[in-house]
Amino acid sequence: MSTVTEPSTPQPVRAATRLSHGAAVRSVFSLEMRQRLRGRAWYWMLGIWFVVIGVIFVLGLGTLDPAGNEGGILFDLIVGFVLFFGLLVAPGLSANAVNGDRAGGTLAILQVTLLSPGQLLLGKWLASWVGSLAFLVLSAPFIFWALTLGGVDVSEALVSLLMLAVELGVLCAIGVGISALADRPLFSIVSTYMVVALLTVGTLIVFGLSSALVTEEETTTTSYYDYPQSAFQDDGMIDPDAERECTTQTYVAPVVHTEYIAWLLAANPFVVVADAVPYDLPDPSTFDDEPDSFGYVGNYYSPGVMEMASQLVRAAQEGPDLDVTCEEAEAAFMPISQQTPIWPLGLGIQVVLAGVLLLVGRRRLTMPARRLARGTRIA
Amino acid sequence: MTDENGGIVVEGVARSFGSVQAVRDVDFQAPPGEVTALIGPNGSGKTTLMLILASLLAADKGTVRVAGFDPAAQPSEVRSRVGWMPDTLGVWESLTALEVLKTLGALYGMSEAARTSRAEELLVAVSLTEYGRQPARVLSRGQQQRLSLARALIHDPAVLLLDEPASGLDPGSRVELRSLLRSLAAQGKTVVVSSHVLSELDEIADRAVFVNRGRSVKNQTLDEAGTQTRRYYVRAEPMSALAAALGSYGVSFETRGDSRREEFLIQLGSTAEAAWLLRTLVLGEVVITAFAPAGGALEETYMSLDTDRL
Repeated sequence: MSTVTEPSTPQPVRAATRLSHGAAVRSVFSLEMRQRLRGRAWYWMLGIWFVVIGVIFVLGLGTLDPAGNEGGILFDLIVGFVLFFGLLVAPGLSANAVNGDRAGGTLAILQVTLLSPGQLLLGKWLASWVGSLAFLVLSAPFIFWALTLGGVDVSEALVSLLMLAVELGVLCAIGVGISALADRPLFSIVSTYMVVALLTVGTLIVFGLSSALVTEEETTTTSYYDYPQSAFQDDGMIDPDAERECTTQTYVAPVVHTEYIAWLLAANPFVVVADAVPYDLPDPSTFDDEPDSFGYVGNYYSPGVMEMASQLVRAAQEGPDLDVTCEEAEAAFMPISQQTPIWPLGLGIQVVLAGVLLLVGRRRLTMPARRLARGTRIA
Repeated sequence: MTDENGGIVVEGVARSFGSVQAVRDVDFQAPPGEVTALIGPNGSGKTTLMLILASLLAADKGTVRVAGFDPAAQPSEVRSRVGWMPDTLGVWESLTALEVLKTLGALYGMSEAARTSRAEELLVAVSLTEYGRQPARVLSRGQQQRLSLARALIHDPAVLLLDEPASGLDPGSRVELRSLLRSLAAQGKTVVVSSHVLSELDEIADRAVFVNRGRSVKNQTLDEAGTQTRRYYVRAEPMSALAAALGSYGVSFETRGDSRREEFLIQLGSTAEAAWLLRTLVLGEVVITAFAPAGGALEETYMSLDTDRL
């Protein structure tokens, strides 16, 4: 330590007491990314991810019938899995962003600079989001592979990937927010997983439990096709010339009005993605009117997992059909077209949750601190 | 004086954490151009005080002015003028020393060119040039301590707050730290150093603030400390001759209990008195083999303060 301390530019910072948002966020972002890129953990996670997605894809490829909607189902499968793994990875990448630094003693060093808490959180969030997006990018080979098999619309593919990216961003924001609030990394990571579980499994459970509240006794009419009694021959076989007849019954039965509680499913990440994607549904007007060998009219419709989720949500939104006509009973499984999109509500709930967590976290990081949690040290 | 031109003024500051009263009532001033030592036992509130000065912690009451600004009301003004070296080592393990310094420079709003040249300069100043491009995890504790000091200096702050800067440093680095701090003070910076190593502060500090149990118990300049009563160790061959001589001059003494060697401990009012005693003993044919102050001036104050195990 010689005496070379005279600055090359006299008073370089005296003028600056504020930091431009761009420069501040960029600095925090590059600080985070450099550490991530130089660590091993992230590469290991990426490698495991690639192998797992690959195995699932190849298994799907081997078991699916190439004559069916193979490309669509495989694409849907990859989207579903990327979202599923994203739900597992994003909290890991984001939920120790702030309190990990506190534990390492580097948070206070950042806080004592001109960096504002909002800039710090924004930089940390962007870094964890970009870190999670790498997992999506790594799935690209399989996504493109599925797309080359055909059957997937460009708009369907683009919206699926966009919504995946958005969901990862929301999850990272929740993780970063919780990491600013909780004192210990372990606690915040577990808490973030709890929030993820609440959104994915919790919404389903609440939906299921609430169904009891919206169950009412209703007069219901159902129809079904069957052979008349006269068609049965003495040997128990069915007379090959016999025609199936439609029977219509009306009775009073408990009916679950899922249309009142379908919104409970909105905040589920799978619902948000599935509901936002414009699936290319088969057009009923192009169906041929001749019943197939099973006696059903219409084309065979085989949706992938995400499309199935979207159909189930739409069925829940529509509620029970209290009057099933003979014509409806004759038709094959009919895809339901979208009436009211539910994903804006779900995404809205998630964004508000993430926003509240980040705002409270920002207050927590604002220095000088007046209150400190028990057992914590600033530095 | 210090309020207008910078420096630090602290009056009646208190801060508690729940039921623990970390700082009860601290007053002190640290004028620009001087090194002020913050001295006190473990848990006396030194670090809490540093955090308040660094705008990381709000005081419950009292007034604080750092470089003329209130850290609670104008944190940005204070932060742009204060360099803080924490007592804990916060290390971005995978970043190189140069990257750490440049990142911090960016966060103080320095331009790319300014922070790059400043970072290079500081690496030279803290003798870390050869480690500039190596990840910080390969640095030893003392080297990281020096990097931490360079980090605190990156934006050329007018006020420096150093919490235990010498811990973990080898003797050579301590000497370098000393000359660095003296040169910073000579440039008109306000330097506040907390440390337990009193002999070291003796040589670099211009004034000292003694803190115990969250109170500032004594403010003292080093010149004042030099004129106070000090204890001297005296050794002679044989000791019985020394005992007889001291007895005949009416100088009271006690046998030192904490040393392997047999020594007498003598309380003397001033350096003039010490010089007189030494001359008299030598002229009186007592074979003196050692005659030295028992400790530094600050250590004397530290030990003389009427506080429990201060």
